[in-house]
Amino acid sequence: MLLSKVLDKKTVGNIDIDYWKLKDNDEIIWSEAFLSRLGYSNVNEKIDLDFFLNNLIHKEDYNQFKNNFFAFVRNGNDFRQSILIKSQKGKYKEYVCNTRNNLSLELGTNSKFILFSKRKIKTSKKVKTYKFYFKETSEMTKTGNWYIDFLKQKTYWDHQTRRILEYPEDYIPSLKKALQYYPTEHHELARKAFLRSALDGKSFDIEIKMLTKNKREFWVRAMGKPVFNNNQEIIGLRGVFQDIDASKAKELDLLRTSNIIASQNKRLCNFAHIVSHNLRSHASNLTLITELLNSYKNPEDKLELMNNFTDIAKSLNDTIEHLNEVVTIQNSINKSKSSVNFNNMLSQVLISISQIVVNEKAKINCDFTRLESIEYIPAYLESILLNLITNAIKYKHPDRDPIINVTSYVENSKQILEISDNGLGIDLEKYGEKIFGMYNTFHYNKDAVGIGLFITKNQIEALRGEIKVESEVDQGTTFKIYF
Amino acid sequence: MQQKPTKKLACIIDDDLIYTNLIKRVIENNELCSELLIFNNGKQSIDYFESSLESLDAKSIPEIIFLDLNMPIMDGWEFLERFSKIKNKFKKKISLYVVSSSINPSDINRAKSSPTVQNYFTKPLNVNKLEQIFLRKSG
Repeated sequence: MLLSKVLDKKTVGNIDIDYWKLKDNDEIIWSEAFLSRLGYSNVNEKIDLDFFLNNLIHKEDYNQFKNNFFAFVRNGNDFRQSILIKSQKGKYKEYVCNTRNNLSLELGTNSKFILFSKRKIKTSKKVKTYKFYFKETSEMTKTGNWYIDFLKQKTYWDHQTRRILEYPEDYIPSLKKALQYYPTEHHELARKAFLRSALDGKSFDIEIKMLTKNKREFWVRAMGKPVFNNNQEIIGLRGVFQDIDASKAKELDLLRTSNIIASQNKRLCNFAHIVSHNLRSHASNLTLITELLNSYKNPEDKLELMNNFTDIAKSLNDTIEHLNEVVTIQNSINKSKSSVNFNNMLSQVLISISQIVVNEKAKINCDFTRLESIEYIPAYLESILLNLITNAIKYKHPDRDPIINVTSYVENSKQILEISDNGLGIDLEKYGEKIFGMYNTFHYNKDAVGIGLFITKNQIEALRGEIKVESEVDQGTTFKIYF
Repeated sequence: MQQKPTKKLACIIDDDLIYTNLIKRVIENNELCSELLIFNNGKQSIDYFESSLESLDAKSIPEIIFLDLNMPIMDGWEFLERFSKIKNKFKKKISLYVVSSSINPSDINRAKSSPTVQNYFTKPLNVNKLEQIFLRKSG
């Protein structure tokens, strides 16, 4: 109170408090009291900013103070920090310097001031040690503090938060545009966590992606809790951001690997069943035939049965060839990829099936302008295009000539090839994933073997891609390949 | 006194032409049934059953069905589902056996859990098994 009265009188130059008055050219004017208390009133040297920074301030406080000071001078960012200042006798004295006029002083002048108040209770050695440990911990664990003040509508970050988010020391975080610190896909997550905490008083502990100043995405563990005033009203949120990008990357990598292994295992298991099933049907036919041979007395009957051997041998051979084809795909991951141009590959495929295309009056449109080529095994892309296009022609609608659209594009940073037709379509609710099964056919068609889509799916998945299908009966079918 | 079994009407639903051809011979050879119907997929056979339901021709309804699972157009599962809905409308007992090459336990359990399915057999069926099936409960 006394202070405020004194300052009111605009006699700042003479009063008994410690402060700096700042001039535009970074010049500082010490209050008399401040200088004399530190023992520098009768020193001949000029006690200017450089001298202060180089000689008087403790080196531990140097960086922070310098940053704070210039952020205040240049951008008007208020700050408050405690510093040690060396007195003329060589002893360090502890001050809290403060730019914020939170004493409600009526300074009555346009100049900027920094007030220095002597710490009433000296920071004990113990506290200093704790502070040191805290700083070390925060740095080593890459954990930064933040505080949101609802009353002042402001956000505060500590040194470490700025550092992990790659913002300069004098950066003032924005509360209004707080979502800019998160990539778009995590806006909802961030909004939910912070809002729920602010409204319901719940604390949160989430893993979320953040965005640095340089637009680098990285994973943090964000923890926060509400801050209450004496009336139990929420007046702010406080918490930490911990940079967990390295461990999260490992976790995600592990998850990816485990997914790949799981899907490989599933395909292998599936394949074992297919092998077992397909070979068994031939084996059982052979058993039947021998049984019949034994039961027939008449040599003519026996002879007639021999024809069946030929049939069995042929289908057994076909089956083994098909299985072989699948095994080859599983082992193909090591085959070399190269840049494959969609347009060239499609032309190549169309030449090989030109006869069918002409006979069935198929019209094939393509648009590869959005994605002209991909890194892929050329033979696979050829096989995929061939299978899907011949399928589209094979299962054309009886009432119209087939029209097939082939396009490529990028969606959510995924490369996609889309092949759609105006054919028979298929009831996916009924058949669903079975359309990719082996020897599954769904239409009356003498050419239907039920191996094409099975091979296609295997090829795509072996290269860690995905194939999806949309279809409507009588309208057509669309296959989407995510490379 | 053991009666000579009355010959039954049977049907096979299977897309493997070699298999149906062979099993037909085995059945005929052993005179196991009076008549054998063969369908190459579920659709053909369900159409047959549904239309005989309309014509109420009980004589044309097989008493024994051998059903394969993996078939084009309509597989054994779908046939089972459709057939289960109408089987009680036929005024005679119909025994349905699933006969498949699949030894996948999930197939076997799924089939056996259907009240319509009498039993599950893994291919091949031999004469002994067929005799057991045909002569069962018909004495």
